[in-house]
Amino acid sequence: MNDAPATTPKVSTDSEPTKPSLAGRLAARPQIALIGVLVVLIIVTGIAEPNYLSVAGLRNSLIWAIPIGILAAGQTILMLTGGIDLSIAMIATASAYVTANQSANGTALAIMIGLLVGIIAGSLNGVGVGVFRVNPLIMTLAMSGILLGLFSGWATTIFAGSTQMNDFMRSLGGGSFFGGRVPWAALVWTVIAIGVIVLLRKTGFGRNLYALGDNAVASRLSGIRAWQVLIAAYAISGILGSVAGLLVGGRVGAVDLQLVGFLLLPSVAAAVIGGTSIFGGIGTYTGTILGALILGVLQSLLTFLGAGQAVQQLLYGSIIIGLSWMYTRLASTQ
Amino acid sequence: MTATTPTTNGAGRQLMWRRRVQRHGWTVGVWVLLVVLVAWYATLIPRFGSFQASTILTGGSAWILLGIAQAVVVVAGGLDLGVGGMLVLSSVTAAQFMDGQPIEVAILIGIAILIGAAVLNGLVGWIITVSKIPDIVVTLGSLYIYQGLALMMLPKVGGGTPGAFRWIFTGSEHGVGANPWPALVVIIIPVIIVAWWMGRTKSGLSLYAVGSDATAAFLSGVRDARTKIISFAVAGAVAALAGFSSVSISGVGNPTTDGGVLTLNSVAAIVLGGIALTGGVGSVIAVVPAALILFFFNPILSALGVDPNRAQVIQGILIVFVMMVAGLLEWRRIRRS
Repeated sequence: MNDAPATTPKVSTDSEPTKPSLAGRLAARPQIALIGVLVVLIIVTGIAEPNYLSVAGLRNSLIWAIPIGILAAGQTILMLTGGIDLSIAMIATASAYVTANQSANGTALAIMIGLLVGIIAGSLNGVGVGVFRVNPLIMTLAMSGILLGLFSGWATTIFAGSTQMNDFMRSLGGGSFFGGRVPWAALVWTVIAIGVIVLLRKTGFGRNLYALGDNAVASRLSGIRAWQVLIAAYAISGILGSVAGLLVGGRVGAVDLQLVGFLLLPSVAAAVIGGTSIFGGIGTYTGTILGALILGVLQSLLTFLGAGQAVQQLLYGSIIIGLSWMYTRLASTQ
Repeated sequence: MTATTPTTNGAGRQLMWRRRVQRHGWTVGVWVLLVVLVAWYATLIPRFGSFQASTILTGGSAWILLGIAQAVVVVAGGLDLGVGGMLVLSSVTAAQFMDGQPIEVAILIGIAILIGAAVLNGLVGWIITVSKIPDIVVTLGSLYIYQGLALMMLPKVGGGTPGAFRWIFTGSEHGVGANPWPALVVIIIPVIIVAWWMGRTKSGLSLYAVGSDATAAFLSGVRDARTKIISFAVAGAVAALAGFSSVSISGVGNPTTDGGVLTLNSVAAIVLGGIALTGGVGSVIAVVPAALILFFFNPILSALGVDPNRAQVIQGILIVFVMMVAGLLEWRRIRRS
């Protein structure tokens, strides 16, 4: 059900004598079903608002999907180990805050300090989960509270200065190239996506993530040092959070402490819709990317329908349940 | 399992005591911590009287009830991220329909809301058992759905509940008073009912059976799907009760309250209360002091003159620290056995 290297290839698909049914073929590659959902959703949105089927319309959905997709990369990596990062949105916000504040000291330095926030907070999460065996839900939840408290205090003391992003960050977060067709942020996402896919598929570290989530005892007995893998995984999630925060901050222009919070649950939802198991060991980043794109298009559709926030949340919840139901049905027909 | 049967086969009193300490040590520890905190708080403020007791019990009751709702589901091996959303939904529904009604009608409406909440959350449990999607995913969906329904019910802050209804939950017709007894009753009665149900009845004990090993429970004749649905239905009703408490304090319904944050508080409360997130272990009685401790941090730290932002940092660090101690104790227990 996934094309991860850690799982043995399914022999049955080659040696099956009868022609597999449509459901069977979809089950072998559930991502095709997700692409189907995405296409249908784009067409439906096009019917609702004919202007949507243009570069500008699709670009709008993409701009929604980018930060969700980057945050969901962190969630995917951690969910593979059986963890989750509920602090990722607060890490993103904190990074954007620091970068905006330090932007007077030069763009490069400001970005470096912003990313440092993500590395430190992420590593601390990793130490809590990996070394002290604190439940990931609790550890990252507490980290989120700690960061909010720290930055609420620091906002009036050591980070009392500017809350404006500089021009470079604004064009990276909100600007476009090719005559305004492709957002710069999409380029950042592409680089990250390639990096994460290679990390999960081709590296030993990626295999360790799958192994740890699949069976922690077996992976310990086969010599994986779980705490090292977990610290690295949480630190990576922290960095990804920082990058997403910088992009959102750049798009909005000014930062406050509620900047990225609304993207926390969508980031979990994107990974889940994409077929990553919350119990670990199963999932791919390509699935998560499709999940993020689906959520981006959905956002456009809901905006065009003029749906109020009430209907938006209702539909959002129903779609999370509906798509994961479809996924488990497909997986069980295999 | 904090089940009931005491071993009286004369295998040695010492062993029995050691097992008791192992079983109830955490619960006792949390109660002691609460007592110490209350005593400390009493020395920090000029006067610790019925007003302060009332404020703490009234404010803490929603935390406690939400923790109990979460505990029922977690003991049965699940997790309900939707309880916070249910609190918001029930509080705005109450504020919408009880506004200006006499108390008798308000209570009837309240009962109807409790039943509705049980059915709605039971439906969520049913979806989980039929679809085999992990709880955390389905209830992430139900969290959104409840918040959406709450916004539909009451588009902006408003509504209200009759004064007598507010008195039931807060001891005052205005939400703040010096009478702690009604809030105490609102906490104790649901806790006793749920604790009795979980510890003494067949359907309650099957929560522990399913939570510790669903397959073994199924093979020994426990209907695991039905147990799961019941646990979600009970959680829905208790969360709705927490919603009444919250609307009685504020006096108005607020559909934009973030149910996700409330859910996360409930998870922190049950973990501090010694309920294992893996299911099958723990007692709702310990959730009461745990939730009160979490709620209590803020008044204590503000009495100490700590800036609220720093208080939040300290609270986070303390939660992690408690979890580390709990993890260490658990690890030692496994090593010894």
